[in-house]
Amino acid sequence: MEKSGSVDSLGSKRSSSRQPSVDSLSSTSTSRSDRSAQAKPPSAMSSDSVSTSAEFSPELRVKPKISAKQAIRDSDKEELQLLPNETVQDMAQDVTYFCPFTGALRGTVTVTNYRLFFKSMDRDSTFMLDLPLGVVSRVERIGNASSRDVSYGLVCKDVRNLRFAHKQMEDTLRKSIFEVLMKFAFPVSNGLQIFAFEYGQVFPENGWKVYDALSEYKRQGIPNESWRITKVNDHYELCDTYPSTLAVPVNIPDEELKRVAAFRAKGRIPVLSWIHPESQATVTRCSQPMVGVNGKRSKEDEKYLQAIMDANAQSHKLFIFDARPSVNAAANKMKGGGYESEDAYQNAELVFLDIHNIHVMRESLRKLKEVVYPNIEDSHWLSNLESTHWLEHIKLILAGALRIADKVESGKTSVVVHCSDGWDRTAQLTSLSMLMLDGYYRTIRGFEVLLEKEWLSFGHRFQLRIGHGDKNHTDADRSPVFIQFIDCVWQLTRQFPAAFEFNEYFLVTILDHLYSCLFGTFLCNSEQQRLKEEIPKRTVSLWSYINSQLEDFTNPLYVNYSNHVLFPAVSLRHLELWVGYYIRWNPRMRPQEPIHQRYKELLAKRAELQKRVDELQREVANRSASSASERPGSPTRSITPVQTFV
Amino acid sequence: MLTGSKTTFKVRQMLPDIKERMLSQTGVNARSRDLFGLRCLPGECVLQRAVMVRKKLTAREGRGWLSGTLFCTHFRVAFVPQDSPKPDDNADPVLLGDHDVALASIEKVVVVGPNRTKLVTPNSSLKFTPEELVLYCRDMRVVCFLFDRLTPESQVQEMTYSIAKTYQPPKPGSVLSFQNAALGSVEMKQFLSNRRRDAHMNWFESASDWEQELERCGATSWRVSSVNDRFEMSTSLPRFIVVPQKVLDTELKKSFAHFNEGRIPRWCWRHPRGSDLLRMASFQNNIYHEKDDIRNLEMILFGCQSSLCVVVELGEELPSPADIQLAHSRLRALCLGDISTSMSVPDDKWLSTLESTHWLDYTRSCLRKASEVACLLRGGHLTVALQEVEDRDMSCVVSSLVQVMCDPHCRTMYGFQGLVQKEWVMGAHRFYSRINYHRDNDKEEAPVFLLFLDCVWQLWSQYPSRFQLTEDFLLALHDSVHLPLFSTFLSNCQRERCKRSQNLGQCYTPVNGWRDVLHPDSSTDPSDPPLPPVWDWSLQYSKPRQSRFTQPVPPTPPLQPLLNGNLNTNPDKHRLTDAVPGSVFLLSRGTFSCPTNLLPWRSSSSSGVYKKSHRRALSSENVPGLERLLKAWALVEFPQALTSTSGPQGPLDPYEPLLPLLMGPCMGLWRECYLRGALHAQAFSHPLSANHLHPVERLAQEVQQLKDKLEQVSTSTDPTPPAVTTEPRRADTNLNQNTNNGTFLFPASRPQSAGALRAAPLPTSANQHTSRGAPAASAPQSRPAHKDTGGSSKHTFLFGHSSVIDAHPDQRYYSASSTAKLPKSNGPSLAS
Repeated sequence: MEKSGSVDSLGSKRSSSRQPSVDSLSSTSTSRSDRSAQAKPPSAMSSDSVSTSAEFSPELRVKPKISAKQAIRDSDKEELQLLPNETVQDMAQDVTYFCPFTGALRGTVTVTNYRLFFKSMDRDSTFMLDLPLGVVSRVERIGNASSRDVSYGLVCKDVRNLRFAHKQMEDTLRKSIFEVLMKFAFPVSNGLQIFAFEYGQVFPENGWKVYDALSEYKRQGIPNESWRITKVNDHYELCDTYPSTLAVPVNIPDEELKRVAAFRAKGRIPVLSWIHPESQATVTRCSQPMVGVNGKRSKEDEKYLQAIMDANAQSHKLFIFDARPSVNAAANKMKGGGYESEDAYQNAELVFLDIHNIHVMRESLRKLKEVVYPNIEDSHWLSNLESTHWLEHIKLILAGALRIADKVESGKTSVVVHCSDGWDRTAQLTSLSMLMLDGYYRTIRGFEVLLEKEWLSFGHRFQLRIGHGDKNHTDADRSPVFIQFIDCVWQLTRQFPAAFEFNEYFLVTILDHLYSCLFGTFLCNSEQQRLKEEIPKRTVSLWSYINSQLEDFTNPLYVNYSNHVLFPAVSLRHLELWVGYYIRWNPRMRPQEPIHQRYKELLAKRAELQKRVDELQREVANRSASSASERPGSPTRSITPVQTFV
Repeated sequence: MLTGSKTTFKVRQMLPDIKERMLSQTGVNARSRDLFGLRCLPGECVLQRAVMVRKKLTAREGRGWLSGTLFCTHFRVAFVPQDSPKPDDNADPVLLGDHDVALASIEKVVVVGPNRTKLVTPNSSLKFTPEELVLYCRDMRVVCFLFDRLTPESQVQEMTYSIAKTYQPPKPGSVLSFQNAALGSVEMKQFLSNRRRDAHMNWFESASDWEQELERCGATSWRVSSVNDRFEMSTSLPRFIVVPQKVLDTELKKSFAHFNEGRIPRWCWRHPRGSDLLRMASFQNNIYHEKDDIRNLEMILFGCQSSLCVVVELGEELPSPADIQLAHSRLRALCLGDISTSMSVPDDKWLSTLESTHWLDYTRSCLRKASEVACLLRGGHLTVALQEVEDRDMSCVVSSLVQVMCDPHCRTMYGFQGLVQKEWVMGAHRFYSRINYHRDNDKEEAPVFLLFLDCVWQLWSQYPSRFQLTEDFLLALHDSVHLPLFSTFLSNCQRERCKRSQNLGQCYTPVNGWRDVLHPDSSTDPSDPPLPPVWDWSLQYSKPRQSRFTQPVPPTPPLQPLLNGNLNTNPDKHRLTDAVPGSVFLLSRGTFSCPTNLLPWRSSSSSGVYKKSHRRALSSENVPGLERLLKAWALVEFPQALTSTSGPQGPLDPYEPLLPLLMGPCMGLWRECYLRGALHAQAFSHPLSANHLHPVERLAQEVQQLKDKLEQVSTSTDPTPPAVTTEPRRADTNLNQNTNNGTFLFPASRPQSAGALRAAPLPTSANQHTSRGAPAASAPQSRPAHKDTGGSSKHTFLFGHSSVIDAHPDQRYYSASSTAKLPKSNGPSLAS
């Protein structure tokens, strides 16, 4: 009895003595969170605080009933912390949130010009929901006006739906809080300003300086003997959806460029995206040629493509990758578009990559949402997933990018990539193949440059595809093209865990702020529009936020494989659904272990041991030098562990 | 089939390169020979050799190609990389090199020529020169060799023929010839006979092994009974079984008849909160229950818990062996994708086809059942008895999964090996029949053990840092199952193993399953090679590969070496003290019930007094309480168990079960195992560097190397004045605390003196204290010999230090090792 008593007391001592040591262990991350709390906009993540991706921000998780100290720390975050220039617009008590996972919760809703904040103290732990209004795609009133309860459904762009209800207002004149919400969720439709223009947070880094077209071309070695930088589009006269700085073959004068532009849809002429540092094989992008039903030809365009081929001495062939299925490409002839005929373009080989259009992709994501939110049918999970075709689309995009990368790297052949307009599938393909080909784009800054260059400057129509602040949720121009691209990047990171400097949280953050409208990065449709709206002056760049706290986004396993070309396996067998993004709202899907934390610990331990070894070796060296060295070389020789571990 | 391979050998001797063969045959006395860089086993003959061959490396091996020389011997297909280090002739023989394939694990040989592929059989002739040789293995590896244009054409052809002729198609008898090819030589037999069993793990063969486990778990009211010593009570039960203290052997004997195959309820494991896990076969219903019998039966069933017993019926919700076999064969067909028949599933049907194999459903249902049991046990103070008709398949799976989930010791390599010994080998899983090496018993074949490994992998992939063992270990075990060389898998129960070992005169203890039916004369044939246990990894894997079996930096949560059986640090809300003594419930499909015929004797009219007292107990008032226990598992909101176990910062109870997430998207396919043959992602670098490790592994290795260096450097500073050396040593201690590995990372040369050997804590992982009593053999090995000097006194000082200061955070280390030192005195008193 005595003994067991002592064990008990020992046990309690153990747990009490563990507390400080745990604190000291976590002290690094605590201090980090404190620091980042200042730098970070408190609601940078558009997530329920409960379902915050636990893997990356353990300090943000609500931990019910932990030590008092922890609780205090948490309670700071339980209050709504307003961003600069964020103002509360309305508040309502006694609102019910129907959480599909935990059941109905009663609490308070606050609506600001940036977010919806719901807080419930119903349960033993506080439940919070923090939703940037930009995420809301549609607000619908459910049920008839006569009933006592008014219910609202919020359809969100980030694969979830939220449902709230509150009592009918006594004062019928007073607007429901959700009508207030609608006003601020769709500022563009209501003649208001998007919050990004008001948000005035200052970060130590200026993200608008991340990308400079000239220095990026310079990094690639442009201009060189075959390629030049042209200013022909300086005022967006050649092509209003292209950037002002373009790289074109040396021997094509600006006048001819204009004639080529006349033959390409929306004037999007073939321009250089990437050049192989050794073989000079290039990735160029453009829109479809305006061939039409009559099979129109353009001498200038043919000469131009010949020039692109000639710029690469290694190969006497040019591959034209048309991202579309051949049927769609042919159908485009009816609208004046089409594809390059091999008769007209000597030495060119045309390949169709069978990637479907934005409407198919939108439908696929809609189906995926049905399958994963809120409930997942376990017994038919895989066949349900298959029926969405989402992974199949991902596979086709990756496969296309892989073919491009393979042609450029292994075939040393230049490629031209286009779809119809050259701003959706083309952007996916060029950026993914560049990611495979060039290790620079796999760093955090390099990836930012890649997005700025291939997506933003080349006019992927973010405003139209996402519909920032626009209530017209049925708009046929909306499509998850960019999400697909980020998904593909995530697939690459899964297959090459050490090849990317950024982690999963970085990708999730980009997607969250794609919708949040907190940063100006993804506003507008083109460089010209952004310049006109003075986006860089009036808003904050997402990269300012990210680059100010890189440690949150860094992959601890990153090894600089800058010389490696990644050839991913694109079979469906090797692709996975990105659970950490699409199913992150489900609390039962939360990762069980903070793996990144462990990697970081390992790295820290390695650094620590390395330091210690160095110190000791120095010490030994000093001593042996003084005592005329009796054991030569023994300390530095690395022994093979006889029995490494047990 | 021994003759078969011999004829092949003769035929080959006619070939021009006869000198080569002569070479391979000479030097019989040498234990191993270096032949063109290939280290042969004693008696191994090289049948064919092909130069300038490239081997395709899998993702795990670093991808890309590796060039070298290909050999075919009468035991394996061996590949020696070009610039591999010269083999050490004095080293112990390793059956298979890193790139080798045993002939017995080859299932199909396919050659790829220009524009065509062909399945090669012993009788087929080639009309083209193969460019590529693909070996499909039973363990789902696909090994691919590429012949260079510079490879002599004759070598390519001959190599293909040699492999096709010598790899044994599965049929009765071929196993024996394979065993002889591998282990049959005199030297090999000699070598195996002299091999010591690994003392780090519990083999559960002797009574003291079991006692040790009882001590480790703090199960004081149980005892080891040798009532089945001569297998008279039950042929399939082991010689020693664990039963309640209060049941005498004479009473025990009467209970065997009440259970199928005599497999009475036996103790398996005790949860630190005081619940016991039992296993039993189904009841024999057609038997008369005498009053005394009933008393005994109830005593056995309730064990030392007076109040509550939950019977978990494993038949209903879990797959039958036939289901598992079907699912596995479908999975194989799906994953292997056979280029010779080009019958691979189209990519767009991959997901639904994978679903229709039901393999993932079955892993899920096993994990779900085990999670339920784990949650029940966590509630404390009840008995959970797993019941299966034969108690030899799913009860092995569930009982061992429960222990992997709940007991950190079972997540270490040695702990896991002990677990397999306890629940599978001694628990008499019919390895021999289920694996069906001889292909003579297709009806019984079912990869139940592979399903279990998959379940463990699922747990591992969700909680990688809570395991000391790694995926590499699980893979090695998975592959070894397909190699008919190990006594572990070649018998159905201990009785079969014992028979064989008696006939061999005990020269090698764990030995081959001797089959009365199949080889009635093999017992008398002294030429049968002694078969090693699978746990003798050095026979199969090189040191570097073995070192990947465990995490170099042990898991973050403290692995406490001792389960004291009375862990009451957090008062338990769920404790069911109000249970009526003698309540028995059935857990089935997630709900509890108390059907009247659950215990056959209670429903029968003859039960007399007992019947009366237990009628009361049949009320279901305890059901809500029990369901609360299960709720922790199904809890949707704030799954406390989940949040508290995640994150190294959170307060962490090492005995909180690792409850897996079981939703559809959470059940992963073990790609590293099943898709090893498929084409993998590749990274091409300009200077092609082939053989680099996965970064995590490399990181882990670096950490280990640094530690070793540190160790070495700190020892070389030993002779300096103590004032200087204390500093680095202290740093060492801190390191230990940081890793929380619960033991002395610094090699603690403390017990170098002979007297202290028994209690020597092993260099790294915890739990070693609890394993077998003689770990000393390996402890000193792990460090350079010269470091013993002078170390001991300092470490003793450190040790004493922690014991003097009470509130020192080191406290648990101290207590741990002290209990290891005095297990006898500690165990009983703790649980009283």
